[in-house]
Amino acid sequence: MSGVRRLWFWLRALFDRNRSNRLLDDEIQFHLEQQIAENIARGMTGNEARYAAMRAFGNPTALKEETRESWGWTWLEQIAQDLRYGARTLAKNPGFTITAVLAVALGIGVNTGIFSVLNGVALKLLPVPAADQMVSVDQIFHGKFRRNLHGESGLFSYSEYKDYRENNRVFSGLLAYAPFLGEVPLGGESPKPLMGAETSCDFFDVLRERPALGRVFVEADCSAPGVGPVVVLSDELWRSRFAAAPQILGTSISLNRTRFVVIGVAAPGFRGLDPWPIEFWVPVTMQKALEPDSDLLPEDNTGWLALLGRIRPGVSLGEIRANLGVIAGRIDQQYPGRTTTLAIHRATFLGRSEERTVVFGIGSVVLAAVGLVLLIACANVANLLLARASARQKEIAIRLSIGGSRWRIVRQLLTESLLIAFLGGTLGSMVVFWSIEGIARYLLTHLPHDVPRLVWDVSPDPHVWGYTLVLTALTGIVFGLAPALHATRQDLSTAVKGDSAGFLGKAASGGMLRSTLVGVQAAVCMVLLIAAGLLMRGLYLTQTVDPGFEMKGIAQARFDLSSAQGYNAAHAQAFQREFIAHVEALPGVDEAEQARAMPLGNQFLGTELTPSGETESRQFEFNVVSPGFFAMLGMPMVRGRTFTQVETMADAAVLVVTESTARRLWPGGDPIGKTLRDGEKKEYQIVGVVKESQVSHLGHSDGLFLYMPAGPKEQGVLQLLVRSNNSDVATINAIREAARVLDPDLIVEVTRLEDNLELWRTPSRIVAVLSGVLGALALLLASSGVHGVVSYGVSQRIREIGIRMALGADGHDVMRLVLRQALRPVVVGGVIGIIGCAAVSQVLSDVLYGVGAHDPIAFFGVPLFLLAMAFLASYVPARRASRLDPIEALRHE
Amino acid sequence: MAKPTDLVQGTLDLLILKTVSLEPKHGWAIAKRIQQISGEVLQVQQGSLYPALHRLEQKAWIKAKWMESETGRRAKFYSLTAAGRAQLEKEADNWNRLSAAINLVVQT
Repeated sequence: MSGVRRLWFWLRALFDRNRSNRLLDDEIQFHLEQQIAENIARGMTGNEARYAAMRAFGNPTALKEETRESWGWTWLEQIAQDLRYGARTLAKNPGFTITAVLAVALGIGVNTGIFSVLNGVALKLLPVPAADQMVSVDQIFHGKFRRNLHGESGLFSYSEYKDYRENNRVFSGLLAYAPFLGEVPLGGESPKPLMGAETSCDFFDVLRERPALGRVFVEADCSAPGVGPVVVLSDELWRSRFAAAPQILGTSISLNRTRFVVIGVAAPGFRGLDPWPIEFWVPVTMQKALEPDSDLLPEDNTGWLALLGRIRPGVSLGEIRANLGVIAGRIDQQYPGRTTTLAIHRATFLGRSEERTVVFGIGSVVLAAVGLVLLIACANVANLLLARASARQKEIAIRLSIGGSRWRIVRQLLTESLLIAFLGGTLGSMVVFWSIEGIARYLLTHLPHDVPRLVWDVSPDPHVWGYTLVLTALTGIVFGLAPALHATRQDLSTAVKGDSAGFLGKAASGGMLRSTLVGVQAAVCMVLLIAAGLLMRGLYLTQTVDPGFEMKGIAQARFDLSSAQGYNAAHAQAFQREFIAHVEALPGVDEAEQARAMPLGNQFLGTELTPSGETESRQFEFNVVSPGFFAMLGMPMVRGRTFTQVETMADAAVLVVTESTARRLWPGGDPIGKTLRDGEKKEYQIVGVVKESQVSHLGHSDGLFLYMPAGPKEQGVLQLLVRSNNSDVATINAIREAARVLDPDLIVEVTRLEDNLELWRTPSRIVAVLSGVLGALALLLASSGVHGVVSYGVSQRIREIGIRMALGADGHDVMRLVLRQALRPVVVGGVIGIIGCAAVSQVLSDVLYGVGAHDPIAFFGVPLFLLAMAFLASYVPARRASRLDPIEALRHE
Repeated sequence: MAKPTDLVQGTLDLLILKTVSLEPKHGWAIAKRIQQISGEVLQVQQGSLYPALHRLEQKAWIKAKWMESETGRRAKFYSLTAAGRAQLEKEADNWNRLSAAINLVVQT
């Protein structure tokens, strides 16, 4: 009750201030009249009575003020006052205002942009109805156990999924899908690889996604393995491939040479639950039809399914954890030594634990980097404010000396900085909001073609707005507080006298704080620039690295002759034989060689073998190649020989190892003739040692690596390398055509071998460009900061400089003086930055290829560069100082 | 400028609450009444009554109404609310305890 009444008073006082004021005047007037009347009744004259009444009453203005304060809106009025005053001061100093607002806009804009991207990648809820009810579930295992993986470690097997689905009491629905199906060939006129997903039959129902056409899966489609050869197409596929024909329903399409009946088309815009767009969905029970090499449904201990649940109304995350934990515990009993904890999160893109770790790891590094840019911008604005505060010293001193409270003045100065922050923040974020989607679209369409296509919705949402708002407010306080506190802590008598600092020795008030700010800028800028320098060096190295084998003039044909494509061993052998014959007959083609993994093709094959004389097996990477492979790629044999034709045709148990493998396994000994044995005790003999090269990971060649001969048994998995002295395009087209003649349904990807480097270079290029842009921004801000501070310092010390010159200092002395004082904080900050960066660089070099932790060029070149920029920034004002006319300078006020 | 209210900070509230507890009064009458009852000992600076009155009104311990005064002019009359009555009892208790304690100390 009293709360309501108080609010009523407050509101009435606020919105009806004039009336309230009038009433108060009236009330006090009445009081005085009463008193005067009484005084007259006591025999005073009119004037006497009035004065006596006033004396008894006290100062009516002050008392009214005190009364108004009790109404509780003075603070609001003061804020309005501060805002008006701040706006006026900013408008009167357009130069200062524009510089400060632009610096903030830059800092906030960069931060908002990066956060929008992160938000789009990993914070936005899934684009499905009532997405806030959806949670992702994945497992984290502890203990010693064996488990087969098909993708990430947190995924579930089909039997585990059914267990959770049938026995939980917290979800109204729990769906499963295989996120790592990869590309599947769509048969027909011109075969095309499609991204697809195998899903549980309640997939669309749990997501509440209605089809645009036809129906979605029903439980009967999933009742047993292989019974539901049905498919739901994405709207985009339906339009691009099937001309949006409604007759598509009921017809069948060929996926991996299995016929699937089209039963529906998903709603426009629905692209699945991952950042890469899905083009079709089939029941999870059709897994073997799409991937004939594996049969995952009956494998109880193989993780391949991602789980998403729709929460029953009113159930908390805690209850979900508890309920599912019981089921997890029961499953664990079948696997002694294993304990499972479940990670349950609001469902987003990239929401599974392993993905989150990567995304949040990268995200925090990038956010830290853009945060540093903002910090430099803050230091800049703080410095500008400090300089201005010195100019306003007299005003502030007068306000303080006539009784303005320090807090009140600090608040007024802070209001001004917040005003700048919000102007800058609005400008920066508006530009970002307006452009970010276009930028993202441009970047995503310009990724190299091997990188899967991505859909990211980076449009701003309340997350981004909130982030920007909080960041802007923080920014305003960060750059405004120190100058405001500094400006109000001053020696009143000197300030009022107008002897505003800068006279001999006492190097401008706030000099220490200003130097510190410049030092911080230099340090932060140094960190960003060295990081950028290291990354650029890394980029340079990846662009120019010699992987140790020949790539020029070589084309690669990638295809899959596994049973998935309807091939058996005999078919595959026949295809390979004819394909090679056709290709070798092409004009300009020198030779064609087979290999299972293309060099640097992002395919990694691993096996466990036990070297002779050892008991423990070791992990090897391997490739399967035809005898001429080494010669074609220019990898010389260091010892022994390559495989013979006879060995190859007989699938002989012979191996070629790399130099470092031989050195590590048999240091000092002769590897030729040594043996390795596999799990089935089969012995493989080493016949040759080949020179090191980076065939698997760019930048690394030191893992245990061996080659096996490409015999008849391997024909289903081999791909082709072709060397030609014809033009690349002609060769590639000719190879494609040769394959099409042999099998029009087979998808054969033919590219230049050199294109494989792109995949390795793209990440470091993106990072290098990003860090280069950030470094440039940092440098721009920092050098404009240094320039501003030095210019200001010079303008404050004109009289001092004049005296020095009158006493005999020449232009050089003055310039030396100014430069020395300007560069000292830069050097100190820079050294701190270098030390800080030495710590960071180790992290970078672990993450990115080719980045040396202590690259001398980055660590010497960048500081010199920064110093040169700082020198340049201070040289201009220093020169102005050195050319001062002493007479003029002495007169300067 | 030492305000008399500084001396009796807090007690001024008590005095006002007590004064308006009998019948609605306007500001001048309250000031007058306090002076009379205390035998002119408590020299409340009259003006300082108003911030206090408005503060108490804000706290909803007293309520105000514009009514015609004895002279026929409209004046703002203050009267006690239920919450104010409770507050008055509390503050009166406090005051009694405090003054009794001080009396004890002073008289021994």
